[in-house]
Amino acid sequence: MSELRDKVRNFIIENFLFGSDNGLKDETSFLDEGVIDSTGVLELVSFIEETFGIAVEDEELIPENLDSIKNIVGYLERKI
Amino acid sequence: MSVANTLIHNFLEQSAEQYPDKIALIHEDVRVNYADINASANRLAHWLIKDGIRIGDRVALIFENSLEYVVGYYGILKTGAVAVPLSTDLKPDGLGRLVSELEPRGIITSSRFERLVQATDISGVDIQSLIIKDFKLDWHSASFPVFGWREVVTGGDSSNPDISINDGSLASIIYTSGSTGAPKGVMLSHGNIVSNTHSICQYLCLTDQDIQMTVLPFFYVMGKSLLNTHFAVGGTIVINNKFAFPATVIKQMVEEHVTGFSGVPSTYAYLLHRSPLEKYRDQLTSLRYCSQAGGHMSKKIKEELRCALPAHTKIFIMYGATEASARLTYLEPDHFTEKIESIGKPITGVTLKILDENGREVPGGQTGELVGNGPNIMQGYWRDQDATASVLDRHGYHTGDQGYKDEDGCFYVTGRKDKLLKVGGHRINPQEIEDTLMESDLVMETAVMGVADALLGHRLIALVAPKNGNCSENMILGRCAERMPKYKMPSEVKLVRTLPKNTTGKIDMFKCMELAEKNV
Repeated sequence: MSELRDKVRNFIIENFLFGSDNGLKDETSFLDEGVIDSTGVLELVSFIEETFGIAVEDEELIPENLDSIKNIVGYLERKI
Repeated sequence: MSVANTLIHNFLEQSAEQYPDKIALIHEDVRVNYADINASANRLAHWLIKDGIRIGDRVALIFENSLEYVVGYYGILKTGAVAVPLSTDLKPDGLGRLVSELEPRGIITSSRFERLVQATDISGVDIQSLIIKDFKLDWHSASFPVFGWREVVTGGDSSNPDISINDGSLASIIYTSGSTGAPKGVMLSHGNIVSNTHSICQYLCLTDQDIQMTVLPFFYVMGKSLLNTHFAVGGTIVINNKFAFPATVIKQMVEEHVTGFSGVPSTYAYLLHRSPLEKYRDQLTSLRYCSQAGGHMSKKIKEELRCALPAHTKIFIMYGATEASARLTYLEPDHFTEKIESIGKPITGVTLKILDENGREVPGGQTGELVGNGPNIMQGYWRDQDATASVLDRHGYHTGDQGYKDEDGCFYVTGRKDKLLKVGGHRINPQEIEDTLMESDLVMETAVMGVADALLGHRLIALVAPKNGNCSENMILGRCAERMPKYKMPSEVKLVRTLPKNTTGKIDMFKCMELAEKNV
């Protein structure tokens, strides 16, 4: 759990927050807080597919799976 | 008393009179009717007038698509002031530049943009009031008065204000997306926007039964048109700001029986390759049409879109510019296949000509610059006479796009005049190379640009977001070699996960160039 979380969190911080966590919490909504946009979601999906060796289906591209660190970790735990 | 029909906010006032209880706007849990939106906009307008906002003052609006944006937009217009919707993607430097050139008397925004406004240097501007929805920061040390949104739209006079402006009055300044240069403030009068709105309603055959899914921002001229056209006919706007998760949008389109969807090329590339559109196709029974504008969309995406959408859904390919209040031409959906590369014919009230460098109209089939004229053409750029004079003259608005007209009177855009690249001894049109790359069937989206080269003038670099992760640069170059002469081949293909975009979904060419120049 924490290894997954750390990998995801580090990716978000490095790629979208320019290396500074800016108070990013595990529950922070990426869209509501303006952390990522649709371009960012595609980058996130590529990262998840490459790092965790899974295929994110088009139907799985929903906020419940991908809009916060907590949601991504939950999604990955169900998927892996 | 029935309301007049010459000003932008008359659209809302008329619909509030004709369809008071009809749902005008849906956003997540919010469903609001025309009467309530008009009453809120009126309260805001009366408050602003009382606060000292006068005809011609600029009032900036920084909101995501929301009920507050809509109330704010029409409320500002009702005072006779100039509504200036700003990009939600601005950083303090950018906002500071715009504020100092606009000198707004008011700024209306939400807690999401509070930090941005607080971090922006607006000390040199005489701000009458800053209105914030749900503010969270401490504003006690601000040099101007700060008010909460609720206090200005709750209570007070809800009748339509009586302001003496006319269709020639300046209504809005809309900033160009700046995808090819610094953003410019396009001045549009009430008459510009009203005439364009009527023409769009006419060719899309919009009625009060229409329900529009809106994923484009209202601060962008195309998003603004979606709002005004649907409010003009008493239709319904569904706001969904979660297009980053397209499955959510498609599901809501089914649930809300959406009749229209609009996007820029990247919207459709994303829908085709990263959404369950195909699975939901049979459930999109109400979807009457999809429309596309905001730049050239490749033939490949158009063909794929035609296959992916239900057979009853018409596709409107359209062409325009912020400087034209949005729209200049559209292609009749019946001619979609036969004229797939065309932008169609001018909309009602607009004339479009192909002119050579001396301002003479060129014969059919020959290439020149597209120049549009009509009641929708802007008044000029805000405080930039030189830029205005470079695009507006007795012929109308010079779009900077190169194109031609066929024997049936349909227009085609072949590329931008300022984007032609000299590579070796050849003139290369990047749009042509991009289209060829798209034909390879390996590419989701691409941008081709020229990086300065001492020997060749430019070297062609193609940034490519592939459809599949297992695609290599050589596979793409191999497909290109089958389709184009050697001198048109990109020197290099660089694979990226996605192309950088601005908030309107348009490709950000500055950021693309930065990527292209890396390690070259």
